[in-house]
Amino acid sequence: MSLREPAWRITARELESALEEEKGEGERPATYLLSPFAARMNRVLVAGNLSPAESIGRDEAQAFWRARLSDPTGSVAVTAGSFQPRAMAQLRSASAPRPAIVVGKVHLFRGRDGVGYVSVRAEGVRAVAEAEERAVLADIVRQTLDRLDLMDRLEKEPGLTEEAARLEGIPAAWLRAAQKSRDRYPNVDRPAFRRELGNAVRRVAGESGPSRATLPTPPTVTVTRAPPSRPPAPALSAAERAEESLFLDQLDEVADVSADGYADLKEVLSRVSAHGLVGERAEAILNRLEEDGVIEEPIVGKLRRA
Amino acid sequence: MTDEPTPTTPTEIRLRDLRPNSSPVEFVARVVTFERRDVTRRSDGSRRPLVSGLLSDGTATVRFTWWDPPREGIERGLVLRAVGAEVREFRGRPEVTFSWKTRVGPASPAELPRVDANEVPFRTVQELRPAEEGFRLEVRVVRVAAKSVTVGTERRVVHEGLLADRTGAIAFSAWSDFGLKVGEAVRIAGGYVRAFRGRPQLVMDERSIVVRVEGADLPDPAQLLAAPPRSIAQVEDEGGGAAIAVEGIIVGLLPPSGIVFRCPTCQRSVRSGICRVHGQVDGQADLRARIVLDDGTGALTVNTNRADTERLWGVTLEEAQARLRQQPDPSLLEEQLLEALLGRRLRVRGVGTNDEFGVTLTPESIDRVDIDLDTAAEELGARIGERR
Repeated sequence: MSLREPAWRITARELESALEEEKGEGERPATYLLSPFAARMNRVLVAGNLSPAESIGRDEAQAFWRARLSDPTGSVAVTAGSFQPRAMAQLRSASAPRPAIVVGKVHLFRGRDGVGYVSVRAEGVRAVAEAEERAVLADIVRQTLDRLDLMDRLEKEPGLTEEAARLEGIPAAWLRAAQKSRDRYPNVDRPAFRRELGNAVRRVAGESGPSRATLPTPPTVTVTRAPPSRPPAPALSAAERAEESLFLDQLDEVADVSADGYADLKEVLSRVSAHGLVGERAEAILNRLEEDGVIEEPIVGKLRRA
Repeated sequence: MTDEPTPTTPTEIRLRDLRPNSSPVEFVARVVTFERRDVTRRSDGSRRPLVSGLLSDGTATVRFTWWDPPREGIERGLVLRAVGAEVREFRGRPEVTFSWKTRVGPASPAELPRVDANEVPFRTVQELRPAEEGFRLEVRVVRVAAKSVTVGTERRVVHEGLLADRTGAIAFSAWSDFGLKVGEAVRIAGGYVRAFRGRPQLVMDERSIVVRVEGADLPDPAQLLAAPPRSIAQVEDEGGGAAIAVEGIIVGLLPPSGIVFRCPTCQRSVRSGICRVHGQVDGQADLRARIVLDDGTGALTVNTNRADTERLWGVTLEEAQARLRQQPDPSLLEEQLLEALLGRRLRVRGVGTNDEFGVTLTPESIDRVDIDLDTAAEELGARIGERR
């Protein structure tokens, strides 16, 4: 049973501080972004002030638009492409910042320097009256506090079971997310983050403007923007370089004769295995080449040179 | 040395007491459902006929397989006596097989085991699982209404509604009129549970026994129908429910939403002018929405009818049709509908059914919820340690 992913109520600040992505289970696993504050999210609901959008598409046939949504805690990029025509039309329609709510999927893009950028690929965008934006923000702050409370509780009661949590109305998925957050981000300053939500509460009360406070956000979330604990890539051995070039040669050969210009992953794998590069070794080479940005897999099972 | 099993005389037993792989048994039971099939023999490719289905004697329902059955005479409701039937286990449940060694003949309903309503165990609503029978239940009638349905060629009246105890609520359909009234507390014996749209449903027929009781510890129907909303994660865990309430925000619409065309005879939606059952028809316009309601813990689908859709949207079917004439693109209408709904907070009560896509809620009431921002800010401020 694949249930619809719920829309996690989330502040821009929490999205900014999320650095870890992981795959779910099953046949078509979803990707989840894990925040330091017990959100393991695929879909999110955010509210704030939405800037006019700019086009970032490379060609006209594949339009892609990006705007920024600012709430009192921070800001996050909101994007929409031709696969989200409604959301894209909504993004494009604004000429001035306006209060809005956005439902969408989170994406983590990691640049070459290892810095992660979180964005929300919009599924639904709606310009709303201020009161409505504040009401959704109230929901966001409430559930964020619920998750922080759950993490505090887990600190005191590490053995809290899913069954016991469920009886109190705590979803099992929340408990699992809280445990994972604690494992992945052990040194996060939660009280500081809780205080930062004060700006959002003032906004709910109507005491501050829609955009983030002009004061710079204090650097209270003590996680760095670099990916955590990834060991430096060891220098490649000559054998590994040879395997890489074998992989790339076979990929080029397959791509040259294919109708669509892509190299079929299965075919490449079967060709390299004929040269003795099999199983996990081949997978490792494939992953490394993808991570290094040498090749990409824009369609599942279809490879090309980046 | 091998142990040769000593042949034993079959003794008449009740289906509830069947144990897999016991010696052959004798019992009297009624055919609940049956189906004729042929099985191809692997050895020589010849066809061997069999009948399979469900048997019930009021204490339990079990699957049966009847090899080389008579060509005629098997029908629903037939009471039969089987002597020397084999008992096997399939997926953890006992089932019986009639082979050439089994003698099967008609029996009188009077020979069915006498099920004393006082000897079957009590169950709570929460404990009931599909295919269960031979239990007693003490419940309050929350809702009941008579409905006329066509069974084959016959018109029959079925009484449908909702029953509840402290542990939960269950839908029921009664094929006999027990004169049930809302608010009554009753003790029911001789019902059985089936799965209907992924939810258990209690079925009562002429064999069921209904007794009025005091029911002091049973919930008040009004209170049950006004229970506070629960988290959607919880509703998903339980696979829906007969009387559920949730509160969430509209995060999307599923197709088909907006104007749909329905068959004038059966109300099914019409695709390219063709009804699945009645063929080419003149589809009648209707308005509906399949709303995705999300509370941050989970999401479910709320199907709204024309009246609810008109009320939530603020656009009537006639107005929507006028828009469609001006701009003949139904997807534009769906867009406008989403535009009007996205982000709205709703409290919905109704019946939740379950399938592989999750829970679908058929609403009985839909209310817009406006939260008081000052109260919310005060409460949240206190939680982050700011005095306001």
